[in-house]
Amino acid sequence: MHLDVYGDTLCALVTAAGLASVGHDVTLSLPYGRVRERVLANHAAYSEPGLRKLISGEHTAGRLSFSEFSTLPDENSRAVFLALNTGEESAAENIVQRLTQKPDRRWLIINQSPFPVGFTELLQSRIKLETPDNPSAVVCLPDFLQEGSAIDGLRKPAQIILGCSDGHAELKVKEIYRPFSREVDRFLVMTEREAEFTKLTITGMLVTRISFMNDMANLADSLGVDIEHVRQGVAADPRIGPAYLYPGVGFGGPGFASNVVNLVDTLKASGVGSELLNEVLEINERQKDLLFRKLWKHYRTDLQGRTIGIWGAAFKPGTGRIDNAPVLRVLEALWAQGARVQIHDPEAIPALLEHYGSRADLVSASNPYTAAEGVDGLMVLTHWPQYGSPDFERLKRIMRTPVILDGRNVYDPATVREYGFTYYGVGR
Amino acid sequence: MNAFKAIPDTGNAAIQQAWAELADEAKRLQDTHLAEMFSADPERFKRLNVKHGPMLLDYSKQRLDNSALAKLGSLADACDLKEWIERLFSAEPINCTENRAAMHWALRVPADTALQDPAPGVFSSVQSQLEKMGGMVRKIHNGQWRGMTGEVITDVVNIGVGGSDLGPLMVSRALNDSTLIRDKPLGIHFASSMDGSQLAQLLKLLKPQNTLFIVSSKSFTTVDTLYNANTAKVWLERSLGGGDELMHCHFIGVSSAQQKMNDWGIHPENQLQIWDWVGGRYSLWSCIGLPVALRIGMIGFNQLLAGAHLMDNHFRSAPWQNNIPVLMALIGIWNTNCLNINAQAILPYDGRLEKLPAYLEQLEMESNGKSVTRDGQMVQTHTCPVLWGEVGPNAQHAFYQLLHQGTEVVTCDFIAPALRYHEAMHNSDSEELVRQHELALANCLAQSRLLALGEDALKGEGELPDYKRYRGNQPSSTILLKELSPFSLGAMIAAYEHKVFAQSVIWGINPFDQWGVEMGKKIATETLGVIRNEAKPEYPLDSSTNGLIDFIKNQ
Repeated sequence: MHLDVYGDTLCALVTAAGLASVGHDVTLSLPYGRVRERVLANHAAYSEPGLRKLISGEHTAGRLSFSEFSTLPDENSRAVFLALNTGEESAAENIVQRLTQKPDRRWLIINQSPFPVGFTELLQSRIKLETPDNPSAVVCLPDFLQEGSAIDGLRKPAQIILGCSDGHAELKVKEIYRPFSREVDRFLVMTEREAEFTKLTITGMLVTRISFMNDMANLADSLGVDIEHVRQGVAADPRIGPAYLYPGVGFGGPGFASNVVNLVDTLKASGVGSELLNEVLEINERQKDLLFRKLWKHYRTDLQGRTIGIWGAAFKPGTGRIDNAPVLRVLEALWAQGARVQIHDPEAIPALLEHYGSRADLVSASNPYTAAEGVDGLMVLTHWPQYGSPDFERLKRIMRTPVILDGRNVYDPATVREYGFTYYGVGR
Repeated sequence: MNAFKAIPDTGNAAIQQAWAELADEAKRLQDTHLAEMFSADPERFKRLNVKHGPMLLDYSKQRLDNSALAKLGSLADACDLKEWIERLFSAEPINCTENRAAMHWALRVPADTALQDPAPGVFSSVQSQLEKMGGMVRKIHNGQWRGMTGEVITDVVNIGVGGSDLGPLMVSRALNDSTLIRDKPLGIHFASSMDGSQLAQLLKLLKPQNTLFIVSSKSFTTVDTLYNANTAKVWLERSLGGGDELMHCHFIGVSSAQQKMNDWGIHPENQLQIWDWVGGRYSLWSCIGLPVALRIGMIGFNQLLAGAHLMDNHFRSAPWQNNIPVLMALIGIWNTNCLNINAQAILPYDGRLEKLPAYLEQLEMESNGKSVTRDGQMVQTHTCPVLWGEVGPNAQHAFYQLLHQGTEVVTCDFIAPALRYHEAMHNSDSEELVRQHELALANCLAQSRLLALGEDALKGEGELPDYKRYRGNQPSSTILLKELSPFSLGAMIAAYEHKVFAQSVIWGINPFDQWGVEMGKKIATETLGVIRNEAKPEYPLDSSTNGLIDFIKNQ
């Protein structure tokens, strides 16, 4: 089938390449920008395992072609995917507007973007307004891809939530996704609004679990128990399960936080409001500078002139993105108190330098140990695998003061303390 | 007590002559009703109003005319007002009983001024303290002022009394609509009363780890403030523990007494300095204004200073007949000394100015509530009248009855902004609110009109029974501001400050001391000892005090 995908999100790239890989002819229309440049140059636009190879393979095979964001789908196009970013509602409206300029075509528009609840219906009503007799349909197929396992997420979905109230459109979407839904019917069909709200609710539930565990971790801190043992106990309960129970220094990322904010805004706009979700976000924000607070207390409220090492800037391992990442809050807090920072991250340093520019109190290190050289404390903010088992003896030797602040509870407190470090974790 | 005279026999010949001529003017005008003055001269408003910057002063509803004003001007000249203004704008110690200059005007001189420094380092030390305060404001606004546990400071409590309370409180209430917009609004609170009333309420609502206290006291010996500060400190210590960290994170001090701040434990980084040449009731322009800066930001604070500086320049340079503060002063002299009106009401028609009456009560009555001249003589004329006030629309339901139909003659200052609710922070609900503001303005104008004209304002009401009659002839001034902004408020407050100074020159008194409030503090210390059973009075107490103490102890 000939398909068109608009957007430069991870979802756009994975959807385009993934659908091409099962035989569809896909045109990916990319807006101008970094992602487009990198894709066209055959570089990785996202640090998503296997994605670059998949894109270049499908492109070479001729099933995936690239186009301008402003062009219209060609004659054969059977479906148009909108996989845009938060806040790009007007771009979506624009595309739909242009599609209606071909009133004799029957379009199937599949909205995957994290827009407010009701936006898919709004697009549908635009088409009705411009071309009242045109049977085109807009459906909602929320993006559930997780960074780091996005391609698998597309190919082996647990379920596919489809917001659609048009039987014909439903059949067409199912046909497009048939290769990924062969053994059993993975589709869960509901209204467009319900699908949009399901996406938000899932995100809300996940972040609530995390914030709840962070809240428990802070209690554990004051009760003198190790939250890690508690977490394992809680995870063993089948009613709860192990996912999203890890306490830490807060969640970030472009999608996660913006989806929760979107949910909070949606509830607020509808006049309902959610005390719980506001609190969830509040706990998360407070959690982001937890390690700063521990360091502040350790040094008795005087960080002036101290040097702090940081391992990890990305909002999670496997990505170079720092959107809403705890590192931002920690850096600004440290700088405001007159401390300087030496930081290492395998991928996120360019994003960090782009965000802050060059400044004397931010030194980026190409090697984790360089970042720890001569520091008064070492913070671990991202759970990159390479920070898992450092050479503690070497660290002890090169750090000025042996204080480790473990924001992801990566290390065993007893072991670290045995090496002579002061250890602070999250809830332990 | 000496008898007050319309024509004092002190002062030089020119002064006595000016008073004598004023007495004649008063005799000429005393039986003329304001309604007659308005009907005799359709251009009266045009003749008797003045505008400068954001401010309009309408004094056409005062019971005087251009001839009387000219004589008032002669009195000002005879009293050397021009020279005295120049002495104010210098480092000369015009606060003669304390041998200090009164350079509050220097606090609002902009950094890039072409003015001559009155004494070496005055302007630069003002700027350096403003910068230090700006740094603190920035840190708090950025959420980077941290409590002892590393939590962000979300609430600031200003502990101070008198000038260290009324000024910042009045201005931060007044400029509520200029509040800096932040994700999470900063809580700004005030605690002044020595009995701990406000503090007790606040401490129930606030969290120690998120609360920062400003201890604001020029001398850093004010008992009211230090008791409140101690209560705050103990409250913090109970949950956070004591030590240097507590002082480092939870207290800022503003004072001229650095050593006393040190002794109390204010961290050197957290000390803001004022100078002995700033009187307490003139100090909101200094770091005492920190709560104001926290509310409206440093840009807003600098606009407040700029408005006052505009008025400083106007006061120094404008001829009497166009000089807003001087006109306000001369009108006050006319009412007090020529028409024998000893009460003045402050009536803002804007709820944001609710603390302005209290502020002006202090500014005027603490400054000019004196009866000894600079030469040490008893004054022969009345000085400051009794001031009081309330937000106008609310006062309409309270004491306006007395203004309209009582036996006392009262002069009023009506104060209102022309524009309101047009700021960015008002949007969806602004249309209804604008209509409410229009209603308040209509009431402001109607009340001053009825007070002035009496029944003449009620044409077509026909013959009224006596209990419904309005005699009118109550004089008033109306101050309109374009809007209530940091700039316009700064200009208006400075105008009142200079009014007070100009009046003090004519009365020959020192407006910058307050010896009348000292002795009470001293004997309170002795009484405290008696109440606590810790000491016997040095001399026997009077029977009233003894009786009251007995009642207290018996409870």
